[in-house]
Amino acid sequence: MYSTHKTYIRPQMKMAGLINENHALLLLMEHLEIDFNVRDLTVEELCRENRISTEVFVAIGNLYNGFLPEKIEQIPESGIPVIISYLKNSHSYYKKDKYPELIELLHLLKKNHHSEDIGLIEKFFNDYFEEVLEHLDYEEEIAFPYFCRLLNLNNDALRSDFSVDNYKEHHTDIETKLTDLKNLLLKHIQISNDLTLRRKFFNSLFELEFDLTIHSIVEEDILLPLIKQVETKLLNG
Amino acid sequence: MDRKRTNIAVIEPSHIVYEGLMNILLRSGNHFFIYRLNGLDELQALHEKEGIHVAIVNPGMILNRVGAFRKMKSSLHEIIWVGLVYSIFEPELLAVFDSMVSISDEPEKMIRQFNRFSGTVKNRSDRKEQLTDRETDVLILLTKGFYNKEIADKLSISIHTVISHRKNINEKTGIKSLSGLTVYALSKKIVSLDDITF
Repeated sequence: MYSTHKTYIRPQMKMAGLINENHALLLLMEHLEIDFNVRDLTVEELCRENRISTEVFVAIGNLYNGFLPEKIEQIPESGIPVIISYLKNSHSYYKKDKYPELIELLHLLKKNHHSEDIGLIEKFFNDYFEEVLEHLDYEEEIAFPYFCRLLNLNNDALRSDFSVDNYKEHHTDIETKLTDLKNLLLKHIQISNDLTLRRKFFNSLFELEFDLTIHSIVEEDILLPLIKQVETKLLNG
Repeated sequence: MDRKRTNIAVIEPSHIVYEGLMNILLRSGNHFFIYRLNGLDELQALHEKEGIHVAIVNPGMILNRVGAFRKMKSSLHEIIWVGLVYSIFEPELLAVFDSMVSISDEPEKMIRQFNRFSGTVKNRSDRKEQLTDRETDVLILLTKGFYNKEIADKLSISIHTVISHRKNINEKTGIKSLSGLTVYALSKKIVSLDDITF
């Protein structure tokens, strides 16, 4: 899922060229609420026009292109709100776009085959997604509000239910189950024919996995270190 | 990630050669982890920190330091030292390496060679996926909701053995979560819905 044969994005590059090379960048743009008609703009110009930190765009964009973030220090703390808004929009992508799409495909599969196994997969997927939703709720109700309070330089904010360990543990569980689901379908569950429908389901699943993976990296390797910086500053007065 | 990975250190001054080599290794689908070093002196520290399995070195880097290289090689004897050859060197210089890759080697040949270096990679792909009877017993009890300790008591084996069976089940099936294993066991008719709570 992680192609390494993409260009390393730099601020002076033309956005249209980058999208032609890797159309997954459209998903990033959707999450950042940037219009797809990018005219002849460079990354830098596009970011300026949309009032988005170029550093944040370049760091997350390069994840979509298969490169891990270089140095966190390059991202200013002022980029935190954009990152949070990116994460919130990706939540709605999971809930309102990917989940209904996958469930719909599973229903169609179930209709075409009278196989108990597909029912099992459906149950597994629903349980899995319940867990995803729980984590998303945790982020929206506990983590993000905490981050926002911190940004308002509120000392009281330091007392919170938020825990980095909790955060990471959720991510690991979610990734494990998604891998399990793929392996069940690729190696174990027998479904005859229906390749088109099954390919659509896999495509959608891989798309979900792709974005979820980046989501975790953005949170763990970009956002949390920035939050830690802010916390340290607050603690030291 | 608990999959066993092969850590490879590359000491090669040419950026083009390094990128090409890295691409071939990463595209092989094996779990290679690659570190690029500027010189041999960085290897010791990296090895202590990460545990390097294979070091790929441009022989030009040791041209006038064969003695020092031999010394380092014997102190880091657990590493497999591979010469990356793309120009003509004295045979004596090349003889200090454990193995050699040439810039004109086919990628497939190169990958096979690296696979041989790491027994773990090879074992994994050779292994049969069929669960043993004992592993199946453990799987059944897992899907019925028993904990490791209870499974150990029921099968009169140690808890360590249970854990080792579980690890094998995970590796063979590619499935780690309990709910995933339950779907697996149901679809393979190892258990039925009446036996378990799912």
